Amino acid sequence: MTRLNLVLLLVLVASALSLVHQQYEARRLFVALERANAAADRLASDHEQLQVQKRTLAAPARVQQLASQRLQMRPIHPGITEVLVLPAGGPAGAGAAGPVQRLQGPVAAPAARGASSPALVPGSTPSASPGARP
Amino acid sequence: MKRAIALGSSPLLTSATPIWRSRLIVAGFALVFLGLGARAAYVQVFGNEFFQRQGEIRFERTLELPPNRGRVLDRNGLILATSVVAQSVWAIPENIDRQHPNMPELARLLDLPPAELQRRLDRHPTFVWLRRQLDESVAAQVRALGIEGIHFRKEYRRQYPEGEALAHVVGFTNVEDRGQEGVELAFNAHLSGQAGSRRVLRDRFGRVVEDVRAVIPPVDGRDVQLSIDSRIQFFAFQRLREAVQQHQARGGSIVVLDALSGEVLALANYPSFNPNQRRNLTGEQVRNRALTDTFEPGSTVKPFTAALALELGLARPDTLIDTGNGRLTMGRFTIRDIRGLGVVTLNEAMKASSNVAMVKLAQQMQPRDMWEAYTRIGFGQRPQLPFPGIVRGRLRPYESWRPIEQATMSYGYGLSTSLFQLAQAYTVFASDGKLLPVTLLKTNQPAQGVPVFSPQHAQAVRHMLALSAGPGGTAQRAQTVGFSVGGKTGTSRVQEGTGYAINRHRSFFVGLAPAEQPRVVVAVMIDEPTVGGFFGGVVAAPVFSATVQQTLRVLGVAPDLSVRPHIVADLAQEPG
Repeated sequence: MTRLNLVLLLVLVASALSLVHQQYEARRLFVALERANAAADRLASDHEQLQVQKRTLAAPARVQQLASQRLQMRPIHPGITEVLVLPAGGPAGAGAAGPVQRLQGPVAAPAARGASSPALVPGSTPSASPGARP
Repeated sequence: MKRAIALGSSPLLTSATPIWRSRLIVAGFALVFLGLGARAAYVQVFGNEFFQRQGEIRFERTLELPPNRGRVLDRNGLILATSVVAQSVWAIPENIDRQHPNMPELARLLDLPPAELQRRLDRHPTFVWLRRQLDESVAAQVRALGIEGIHFRKEYRRQYPEGEALAHVVGFTNVEDRGQEGVELAFNAHLSGQAGSRRVLRDRFGRVVEDVRAVIPPVDGRDVQLSIDSRIQFFAFQRLREAVQQHQARGGSIVVLDALSGEVLALANYPSFNPNQRRNLTGEQVRNRALTDTFEPGSTVKPFTAALALELGLARPDTLIDTGNGRLTMGRFTIRDIRGLGVVTLNEAMKASSNVAMVKLAQQMQPRDMWEAYTRIGFGQRPQLPFPGIVRGRLRPYESWRPIEQATMSYGYGLSTSLFQLAQAYTVFASDGKLLPVTLLKTNQPAQGVPVFSPQHAQAVRHMLALSAGPGGTAQRAQTVGFSVGGKTGTSRVQEGTGYAINRHRSFFVGLAPAEQPRVVVAVMIDEPTVGGFFGGVVAAPVFSATVQQTLRVLGVAPDLSVRPHIVADLAQEPG
C-alpha cells in the first residue's frame, strides 16, 4: 500500500513538473508567434510603403518631366516620320557613327541631320562605336 | 475532574496547566480554519464574479485590431490611394524632463518650434498629442532620443501618389481615417472594413503573454477600382492647367467620358491641391467644379434644340432658315448673332452657331416638348454618381416659361447645368440617340442607354458637330491630327446679381471623337479667362483637341483621317 502511494506521489510530482514545463513552452512559443506576427505586419507595411514609393516615382508627371528633360523625348506625332539610314560602309565603317537621318516629312529629298539628342542616338544607330559616343 | 494534563509517568513532569487552555487553543484554531473556509467559500463561490473582474482589470486587456482601409485603384490597377503605417507621438507631460538635453532635437524632428513644443506640453498634465502621423523613420529617430514620457501609437496614413491631378476625384481622409471628400467619402463604408479584437493577458512589462479567448480578426476594407485612367487623367489635368494659366482664368474643369461604356475616364479641375499636404486649403481648391458648379451652358445646348427640331419634323439638316441680319426682336428683348448670315441651312446655322436660327426653331415647339427633351438628357436631374455635393442644375417647369424664356433656352440661357451633366448629355449624340448612364467604377459591359432621339437624327446632329469643328466652323481649333472630331463651342456671360457681367465669361467646349464612331466625349470649361480671348473656340477648344489626341492614343483607337506629313525645313547636317 505504501509503495503504491509512493509511486503515485512520484507520478503526481512528475506530472506537475511537466505541466509547469508545458506552460513555459506555451508562453515561449506564444511570444515567438507574436514576434513573427509583428514582423509579418511590419514587412507588409514596408511592402505597401515601397509600392507607394514606386508608384510615386512612376507617376506620369514625373515620368514626363524626366523624359522631356533628361532624355529629350517628345510626344509622338502622326505627321513626323523618322528614318534611320545605315552608313554607306555598313557595319565595317566603325571609325565614326553613321549619320542618322532624322526626317520630318516625306523622304523625297533626304537631308540628313545629325544627332541632336545624344542620349537617344547611340542606341538607335546600329554601327555606333564607343568612340563616337559623347 | 482532572485538573492537569499528564505528560509523562513522572509526577515531576506533571504540568499545572489547566485543561481548558488547550481546549481553548483548539477551539481558536478551529475558528480560524472556519474563518478561512468561509473566506475561501466567499472568494470562490459567492464573490467570485467580483474577484474575477478585479483580476481581469489588472492583467487582461482587449486590444483593438484596426482593419486596413481598402485601396483606390485606377482602371489599370494602379494605386491612387493607399494606407501606410505612421506613428503618432503623444506625451505625458508630467513625466517629461523639460530640461532634457535632447529637447531641441525633439522639436526639430517633430517640426515644431521649441516654444510651441513647450506650450503644447503645458496644455494638459497627463496627455497631449505632439504630432500625428509621423513617418516611421522619423518616429524611430524620436524613439532613439530616449526622452521619458514620450509614447507612440500606430496609425495609418493615406498616401496619394497621383497628387493634385486626381485630388478631386479621390478626395481624402481625415486623421481618424474617415473619408472627407470625393471617392474616399462616397465609398467610405466600402473602403473602411471592420475592426477586430483580441483579449490578452499581459505581464508586468506590458508584454502580451497569452490569448484569453479566440481572436476576432479584422475585416479589411475592400478595394475600389475606378473607371479613371490615370494617364488620361494626367494629360487632361495638365492641358487644363496650362490653359487656365495661359489665359489667367479663375479655374477650369474637364470631363472625359467613354462613349461606349459611360465610364468616367478623367475628371479634373484646376485649381487643385496636393492631397498629401493639406494645410491651408481654400474652398476654391477643394471644390470639384465639374460636379458642383452650375452655369448657363450657352451655345452647347444648340445641338439639342436642332435634334429636337429634327425629331419633331420641324426641320431637316438642309432646311433653309432666314436669320436675316442677325437680329430678332421679341418684345423689349433683342436676340443677336455675331454677324448676319441671311438665309442658311440648319447645318450652316449650327456651324456658325446662330442664336436667331435656334430661336426660330424653338418658336415652333411646345414648351413641354423642349422641357421633356431637356429632362431626358439629364438637365435639372442629379447625375447618378455617388459623389458628395453633386448638383442637379436648374430647369424650371415648363408651365412657368414665358415666350422669351423659351427662346433663350433654345440657345442655352435661362437654365443651368454642371459640366458633368453637359458631358453626359452629349453621349446622346455619341451613342446614336441614347443617353448613357455614367459610372465612376470600372465596368466591362457596354452601357445600356435610354433612347432619347432616333439614331438617324442623332447622326445628323453629329454631322453638324463635325461641321462646326471643321473649316469655317466656330471650333476649328478643336481639330486633332489623325482623328475626326465633332463638337460645339460655348461662351456664356457670368451672372452677376440679376444681370450679366460684361467682362466676365465662361468658355466651354463639348465634343466627341472620332466623329463617325465616337469613342470619347470630352467637355472642357474655363472659368473667366482674362488674357488671350474668351471665346470657347479659342480658349477651351485647344484643350479639347490635345486631350482627345492623347486619350484616343492611350485607348488605342486607330486614326480615321489620313495624316498630312509635316514638312519641317530645319533639317541640316551636323558634324557626326
